Amino acid sequence: MPAGLQDIVNRASAMTIDRRKVVGVQITRNEIPRTSLTPTRQPWRFTLTMPNSLRYYNSRDILEALDTIDRYTPQTISFSNNSCLSWIFRYQGAMTAGQISALTVTSFIGNQLILSGLPTVGAGVILFEPNDLIQIGSHTYPFTSTTQILRGSGGTVTVTTNRPNIITGSVVGDGLTVGNGCTFNMFCPNMPTYKLIPGGYVADGASTLNNALIEFSDDFELYEWVGTA
Amino acid sequence: MTQNIPAVANGATQINNAEFVKITIYNEYPYTNANALANTSTYIIKTSGNTNWTSVGASSNAVGTYFTANTANGNATGNGTAANVSVLTFSSSYKAETISGNIYDPLGGLLAVGSQTRNLRATSGETTLALSGIDGNNIYNVLATNIRGSEVEILRGFYNNNMILSNTYPRFRGIITSYGISEEREGTEDNFTVSVGASSYKTVLENRIAGRKTNKESWRYFDSNDSSMDQVYAISGVTFDFGQTPKAGTVVPGGGGFPSPGGGGGGRPGFDPGDVYQP
Repeated sequence: MPAGLQDIVNRASAMTIDRRKVVGVQITRNEIPRTSLTPTRQPWRFTLTMPNSLRYYNSRDILEALDTIDRYTPQTISFSNNSCLSWIFRYQGAMTAGQISALTVTSFIGNQLILSGLPTVGAGVILFEPNDLIQIGSHTYPFTSTTQILRGSGGTVTVTTNRPNIITGSVVGDGLTVGNGCTFNMFCPNMPTYKLIPGGYVADGASTLNNALIEFSDDFELYEWVGTA
Repeated sequence: MTQNIPAVANGATQINNAEFVKITIYNEYPYTNANALANTSTYIIKTSGNTNWTSVGASSNAVGTYFTANTANGNATGNGTAANVSVLTFSSSYKAETISGNIYDPLGGLLAVGSQTRNLRATSGETTLALSGIDGNNIYNVLATNIRGSEVEILRGFYNNNMILSNTYPRFRGIITSYGISEEREGTEDNFTVSVGASSYKTVLENRIAGRKTNKESWRYFDSNDSSMDQVYAISGVTFDFGQTPKAGTVVPGGGGFPSPGGGGGGRPGFDPGDVYQP
């Protein structure tokens, strides 16, 4: 995993998740609400708050990586590489890893994802719980299941996803990745600058060097790169 | 007693829609003859003539049919003409959609469509299109095209609850009358926006001067045998005295002859000089 945004995710003290739709709401004069939804790719947006405890002398590689990717280079973000993050998008269903790897996409039109290769289990076994992440093939665009999906008795199940299929090209026959195994392709359009506040020392052999605390100018607002979906 | 307006009270609770824009840029005038089509270029049939357009890739021979010329097996023949065009199709949707054989590229929020006047009767109206987020290197593409005068057609597409495009309806048809390019630089952010203004066909027709003059040449331009206006020059400048009963023994003057004895104006037209009216 490249240094940069993943380091920010690993060290953030708080994270806001926003994947809401673009909706216009109007209240008529007789107070009847009307809504209008613009079909978008509904990108994931993570707002990460960084503590002001990052030490400059130990973090120069991270700063260099952030300056290099700047505001326009997307990077892949994972939530499975340490136990402090892996609980966030943990898979909630009852399938084993082997059963998940046997699943294949039959079709994905609109937000209707039809899966085959289902496990031989009871009809009441839960395949997906609401909010379970689903990633198709090698496309780093995670979707979520909006409802609880049971195995049923048929050869396929239909999963209603949180957003429509934004993947250009065929996904028929592709496998799935679920839960925290999914990755996000994000970039940081606001890429905060950083301020060094002198303080502390770092050992350098027999002597010590001055150190500083890093204060970022703003939260990191990561935005899913869906331009080339 | 209060009553809700039906259209408001019973409408759908949620509307999913996107705008689909098609711009047809005419690259040439006069049009190309059927026997001079360039292979793989896009054309629109302007005059069908006796040309078999389907032999070069058109789906039909109807005027207005778009097609990509396929002249690998020889060009078309006949007296039809077609216009070489560039067709741009894009939408504010999240994904490419195919409507009537055209693939509309998704621009999402980068495309803004202005408001349009809607009335029960045909209404003159104008609208605007704005394309944002254009790279500075691509601006010359805008300047190099004959975008003014291009036809623009705006459809509104509706998605069902499963986010599948279910219906499209025409919203605006007109001609691009102006365009502008603006650059905004704020800090280190640079953004180019191309805006085009379009007038509806009704506005175009209102501003159009067309028709025939009431003289021989103009009349015979359309029909060389039409003699309806041949006498216009002969009666030009003659004062007519409509409404009076011709009097017995009236001699109609010709070419500036004597005045009518009936008084009230000049001579009576419609007779050759020397004719004597006998009731």
